Amino acid sequence: MTSTILVVDDDPAISEMIGIVLASEGFEAAFCPDGEHAIEVFNEANPDLVLLDLMLPGKDGIEVCREIRRLADTPVVMLTARSDTVDVVRGLEAGADDYMVKPFKPQELVARVRARLRRQDHDASERLQIGDLTIDVAGHRVMRGSETIALTPLEFDLVVALARKPWQVFSREALLEQVWGYRHQADTRLVNVHVQRLRAKIERDAEHPEVVVTVRGVGYRAGTPTS
Amino acid sequence: MIDPGASAAPAEASAPGRRRLATLTAGLRRWWRRGALGQRWRRLRTAWGRSLRLRVLAVTTIVGILALLLISAYLSERVRDTLYEQRVDEALSDAATRTGLVQQQFDASTASTPALVQTVANDIVRRTQSSGSGAVGTLLRRSPTETPVTSLITFTVGTSVDLSPDLREAVRETGTQHWQAVELGPTGSGRPGIVVGSVVAPPVVGPYELYFVYSLEPEEATVVLIQQTLALAALVLLGLLAAMALYLTRQVLGPVQLAARTAERLASGHLDERMTTKGRDELALLGRSFNEMADSLQEQFERLAGLSVVQQQFVSDVSHELRTPLTTIRMASEMIYDARGDFDAVTRRSAELLHTQVDRFEALLADLLEISRFDAGAAILDVEHLDVRTVVRRAVDLAAPLAERTGAHLVVEQPEEACRADIDPRRVERVLRNLLANAIEHAEARGIEVVVRADSRAVSISVVDHGVGMTARQSEQVFDRFWRGDPSRARTIGGTGLGLAIALEDARLHGGDLEAWGSPGVGATFRLTLPRRAGVKVTHSPGPLEREEEVPEVPNQLLGPSPASVPDLDVTHQETR
Repeated sequence: MTSTILVVDDDPAISEMIGIVLASEGFEAAFCPDGEHAIEVFNEANPDLVLLDLMLPGKDGIEVCREIRRLADTPVVMLTARSDTVDVVRGLEAGADDYMVKPFKPQELVARVRARLRRQDHDASERLQIGDLTIDVAGHRVMRGSETIALTPLEFDLVVALARKPWQVFSREALLEQVWGYRHQADTRLVNVHVQRLRAKIERDAEHPEVVVTVRGVGYRAGTPTS
Repeated sequence: MIDPGASAAPAEASAPGRRRLATLTAGLRRWWRRGALGQRWRRLRTAWGRSLRLRVLAVTTIVGILALLLISAYLSERVRDTLYEQRVDEALSDAATRTGLVQQQFDASTASTPALVQTVANDIVRRTQSSGSGAVGTLLRRSPTETPVTSLITFTVGTSVDLSPDLREAVRETGTQHWQAVELGPTGSGRPGIVVGSVVAPPVVGPYELYFVYSLEPEEATVVLIQQTLALAALVLLGLLAAMALYLTRQVLGPVQLAARTAERLASGHLDERMTTKGRDELALLGRSFNEMADSLQEQFERLAGLSVVQQQFVSDVSHELRTPLTTIRMASEMIYDARGDFDAVTRRSAELLHTQVDRFEALLADLLEISRFDAGAAILDVEHLDVRTVVRRAVDLAAPLAERTGAHLVVEQPEEACRADIDPRRVERVLRNLLANAIEHAEARGIEVVVRADSRAVSISVVDHGVGMTARQSEQVFDRFWRGDPSRARTIGGTGLGLAIALEDARLHGGDLEAWGSPGVGATFRLTLPRRAGVKVTHSPGPLEREEEVPEVPNQLLGPSPASVPDLDVTHQETR
C-alpha cells in the first residue's frame, strides 16, 4: 500500500520538486498551495503525512497545523526557511512532529518522511507500566485505569521508548535518535516541546510530573510504576 | 608639591652647616610627606582642585573678611580721631575760660601776704573745679624755677595726674596753653584723659602753673560701643556673604553638575536622558542647548541604527528568500546528479559541477545568514556547562578524515582532568571545525597540534600548524570577511571566506577571544580562549604563551594578569553580575 503525502507550500516549483522526489521513492503526493484550502484538501486526500510550509498565504502554517491536530493524529513535518525564530517552537507546540530547514537534500526529506511513517515494531502481547499508566503497545493505547488517553503516534513512541527501559535515563540526543530517527545532532527543542505536550496529556499535574520525570542536566526517565 | 623646607636654607651657610641643614630639611620634608598635617594639606589641595564650590566659598569669605576688617578699622579710627579732636578742642577752650576766670579772681583779690594768697587761691581753684564743666581735676603748681614761697604749697583738687616735665617746661617757657594726653589713675588702668596747662599769676607770690584734667572716658565708651556694633555688623555680613556665595554657587553649579551627570548617562548609552529646565535665564539656556544637543545626537544615532537595522533585515530577508528556490535547485541537482550515469560525458560533468557548486552556494548562504545574525545582535548563546575536551574530541574526529586525505597529522594535547566551562557546544564546535579546516588547508601536509589549556578562569584551545604561516599584517586581516591570504593559492577545501569571521564572532559571543599569529614558512597559531563562567569576560589566556616570544610587539596587557594574581573565580563571577 502506498502512502499519500500532502504537500502544503505556496511555491509551485518546490511543491512539484518535492512531488518528483516523493514519486521516485514510491509515495503518492497531493498538493495545496495555500492555507485556506489546506483542511479541505486534507479531508479529501486523507494523507498519511503532511509536509507543511510555515509561511503560507491566507492562513499560516501554525494555524493549519493546529486544525489538522484537532482532526487527526496524522504526522506533520514543518518546512521552514528560518530555524532560529520562535515560529519553530510555536509550530512544534501546535502539534507538528518534526521540522526541516530549507534547503534540504532529497535524501534527507525521504529519510524524515520514512521515519515518521514507520510504525515501530510492537510485540503483540506487550504491556508496559509507566507511573500510574498502562500501555497496550499492540493496541496502541495508553490507559489510566479504564480511561484511555489519546496520543499522537509520536507521543506514543516517546512514552513507549521511556517505558521499555524504566531503569535508564534518556538524554535528549538519545531520544532524538530513537524516536525521531536522527543519526546526527539535531535540535533538542523537539524533545523539550514534545515532552511538554505529552505531559499535558498524561500527567495528573503537569507542574509536578510523575510519569515522565526530568533528570536535571541529563534528560528524562520513566516514572516508577505505582500499580 | 610645595617644598616648604627648601627656601629656609640661608645662602651663606658653611659647608658642614649646609650639610646639617640639608639633612634637617630632608627630614622635614619626610615629616611633611608622611605627617598627618601634610596629608591633610594634600587632601585639602585635592578638594580645592576638585570643588569649585569650595573655592568660591573660600575666596568670598576671605575677601569679605579682609574688606570688612579694612572698613571697620578705617571707620573706628575715623570716629575715634574725630571724637578725640572735638574733646580736645572743648577741653582747651574750657581750660582757657577757666584760666581767665582764675586770673580775674586773682587780680581782683586784695590778698597781700602769701598766706592770704594761699587761702584765696585755694578758694578760687576749688570753686572753679566745682563749677563743673568736664574737668575732673585741677592742679596748681609752683614752677620749680621760681623761688619757692614757703607757705603757698602746690595743691590738687579732684583727680590728680603725673605731669610730665616736658609739659611743665613748655607751659613755663611759653606761658601759653599746652596740653598732653595722660592716663587717669594708676598706670595701666587704661582710663584716657588729657591735661591742659597754662600760667596764672596770683598776687604777691609770682607765676604759677595751673592744670586742668579732663576725662576721655565717655568718648572711649562711645568708641568701644561703635567698634562692637561694627564687629557685630561685620559678622552678620560675613555670614550673609557666605550664605550668598553658597546659594549662588548652588544656583549656578547645580545645573552644571546636572549637565555633567546627564552627559555621563548619555555617554553610557541612555540616549533618552535629558536635563529638566525651568525659567529663561542663562542656566535654563544651558539646559535647553544641552537637550537640543542630546536630541540631535539621539536622532543621528537612531537614524544610523535604523539604517543598519534596515540593511541587516535586508540581508536576512534576502538570505531567507533565497532558500526556497535553493531547495528546489538543490533537490533538482541531486536528482540529476544521481542519474548522471545515464548521461554523456559532457552532461555528466555538468551535473557534477552543478552539484558541488550548489553545495558551495548553500554553505555561503548559511554563513551569510549567520553573519547577518551576528550583525543584528540576534545571535543567542545557548550555554551548557561542559567539558571542553569532549567538544574538541568531536571536532577533531570530524576533521580527521580530511586531514588524512591531505597528509596532515592531527595531535591533541590536553590536560588529564576535565576542563569544564559554560559553552555553547554548537558554536565552539563550529569554531574548531573552522580552525581545523583552515589549518589543514595551510598545513602543507605537516603536523597540526591542538593544545587545550585551562586555569581557574579560562580555557584555551590552540590550533597550531607548521605550514605556510603568515605575516603579522596577515594575522590582523585573517578575520576579515572574504579575506584571502594569498589569492594565487589554490583552494583545496573551499570554504566560504566567512568561516574565521564567524569563528571570531562566536568567540566574542562567549565573552572570549580568538587570536591569530604566526610567521611565514614557520606556521600559524589560532588560539580560542573561553571564560569558564558565562558572562565573565576573559582578560587573559591560559596559554600556550608562544605569542610573547614570537611577536614581541604585542603589549603584555593583551595577555592579562597571571591566573595566580586574579581573584577567585566564583567571587569575580558574583561581582560581574
